[in-house]
Amino acid sequence: MDPKGPVPVSLFFTCLADAFAPGVCFATVEVLERFGAQVRVPLSQTCCGQPAFNTGNRKEARAMARKFLRSFPEDGYIVTPSGSCASMVKHGYPVLFRDEPRTLALARAASERIYELSQFLVEVLGVTDPKSSFTGKVTYHDSCHLRRGLGVVDPPRTLLRAIPGVKLVEMEESDRCCGFGGVFSVKHPQVSCRMTEQKIERILATGASYVTAGDLGCLLSIGGMISRHGYPVKAVHLAEILAGAPWDAEEAF
Amino acid sequence: MEVRSRAFARYAQRALSDKALQAALNGATGRLSALRAAAIAAFPGYDAARERASAVKEDTLARLDEQLARFIEEASRRGAVVHVARDAAQAREIAVGIAKEEGISLAVKSKSMVAEEVDLNAALQEAGVEVVESDLGEYIVQLAGEPPSHIIVPAVHKTRGEISRLFETRLGEPPTDSIPRLVATARKRLREKFLSAGMGITGANFLVAETGSVVLLTNEGNGRMGTTLPRVHLAVTGIEKVLPRMSDLPVFLRLLPRSATGQPLTSYVSILTGTRREGDPEGPERLHILLVDGGRSAILEGKYREMLKCIRCGACLNACPVYQNVGGHAYGWVYPGPMGAVLTPLLTGLAESSPLPDASTLCGACAEVCPVKIPLPHFLLELRADVREQGLKTPGEIAGMKMLASVMKRAGLLEAAERILGALSQFLSRGNPISGLPYPFAGWTERRDFPAAAKRPFRKEWKIRRGVRE
Repeated sequence: MDPKGPVPVSLFFTCLADAFAPGVCFATVEVLERFGAQVRVPLSQTCCGQPAFNTGNRKEARAMARKFLRSFPEDGYIVTPSGSCASMVKHGYPVLFRDEPRTLALARAASERIYELSQFLVEVLGVTDPKSSFTGKVTYHDSCHLRRGLGVVDPPRTLLRAIPGVKLVEMEESDRCCGFGGVFSVKHPQVSCRMTEQKIERILATGASYVTAGDLGCLLSIGGMISRHGYPVKAVHLAEILAGAPWDAEEAF
Repeated sequence: MEVRSRAFARYAQRALSDKALQAALNGATGRLSALRAAAIAAFPGYDAARERASAVKEDTLARLDEQLARFIEEASRRGAVVHVARDAAQAREIAVGIAKEEGISLAVKSKSMVAEEVDLNAALQEAGVEVVESDLGEYIVQLAGEPPSHIIVPAVHKTRGEISRLFETRLGEPPTDSIPRLVATARKRLREKFLSAGMGITGANFLVAETGSVVLLTNEGNGRMGTTLPRVHLAVTGIEKVLPRMSDLPVFLRLLPRSATGQPLTSYVSILTGTRREGDPEGPERLHILLVDGGRSAILEGKYREMLKCIRCGACLNACPVYQNVGGHAYGWVYPGPMGAVLTPLLTGLAESSPLPDASTLCGACAEVCPVKIPLPHFLLELRADVREQGLKTPGEIAGMKMLASVMKRAGLLEAAERILGALSQFLSRGNPISGLPYPFAGWTERRDFPAAAKRPFRKEWKIRRGVRE
């Protein structure tokens, strides 16, 4: 950790977690503060623009991305409990502003400062033990944008394995897409559901009590299907496991 | 081939309810992916090979005109007649002209996606030439009257029971569940065709500019028989298949089969250079090479140039969870899966195929396995933007996105929207997950719930807990 003092971190809480899972945002703050980060929460932030970008609506995506860039201070890290939102800022912004040199410079700077939570803890703060009190058999789903977009494979596993009460059990093809895909799940719900069903089969085969991931989107789809069919497993965001019990059951997706 | 890609959603739904198709697809794509993964893991030079293959392709595309001119010159010097077709219609016209001029009544064909692209079989058959597919998978789909559903494994969607029934009705063979028996039947039937055909039609996996050679990779030997037994050989391929030197070939011979089927090398690699010379024991008397542009020059000029690096290995199909579930026919044209979702719009125009770029979760599995490093998810995103620019989006989606952006431009507006959303979802769900969302989200909740919005969003709760003044 930085010997010079607290590490300044701006929380990018994401519009999805803001509206549907505030507990995930609080858990993220708790974990960051536990490891000495000085967490700032820019209250003017909204959405990174991913829904517009991923549907090809570039003009609207740019408007939202500009708002993002204005909302965050120009110094310190930006940390978010979402692999796909981090990936949007990191890889999407340079594409969005490729023809606008001034904004592009800002976008590039932001893309260098943004981290997903587990990545930040392990790669920047050097955390090896999250000091969490969570208990249970857990299986981890590799969200596509976290794994392939940001290249984060080991950090969540390292952290989960370090929690004494957690038994991490790997599912088959943990890196296979869960079928959410943002707007894909709305445009092609049948295909999306089939993929989610396949993911759940693999989750259930592990016998885990909890499935976790670093992306709320995946958990909305996986958790939504678990809730509909009453499968014996709970979908919990990685931040909540890292924050540890007491975990609020009402926050289940 | 007629482009039916606009109906992707309908075809996809139909495919999802076809149990035999699901069993065949999931089994085969899973097996092929596993074979690929094992072959790559056992190939220590993979990363370097991938870099090199990608670089060779880049370099070739940067001076494609020059490479093509060289290829035409060298192939012609060795007795080939090289034709260039600017589009499908011209390609058909040239092929029919060759068949007539050579007096062909029967042609055996080995797999060629470009031939599918230009609808070659139909044109030749209309001109009185019988065309028999000689790749086992292609033979099966030809008997079924279907287009291929995979670029490497054309009949991947068929179970052995379906194939037995097909052989029963179309060939009068007794039913069997033995795969060797099915293969033997096809082999026997095809052997007769090989021996009596006047022309062998093939595609080309690669063209070598330095020597004017056509390179074919096959596993069944049909490519070799089709190019050596008949009097005439017609190779139909895209202009992007050219490689500068023979020394550029080995890296592709290693990458293509490993990516496609997990093999270190295909069973047969044919390097065909010129016509039969005096004293040659075999080979065609006449060699025609038909190079099809069909929109490729236009791709070369634009932002999707790298798509022309594609070596048609099919790895992205097998890796794609959407393809794994909907199969090739859902994509509505010759090229399926992630490569097809990019290539089809580029070759046929987005107006004909605008749903294809959306047929992906952007999971990135395709790019991860692409041996020549084509940024497929990036291209899908670019194409989605082109759909909007070309005015092909529904007014509803545009209105929705405009509304989203206008709300997201101000945190205050978002908070107000969240208040409405919260109240509405609490009313609908009484705090439980929502089991029925209205249009256009109704499909989402058909088989899964959606969470109710939080009573108090994080931003609001944070302000309260931390005493931030409004």
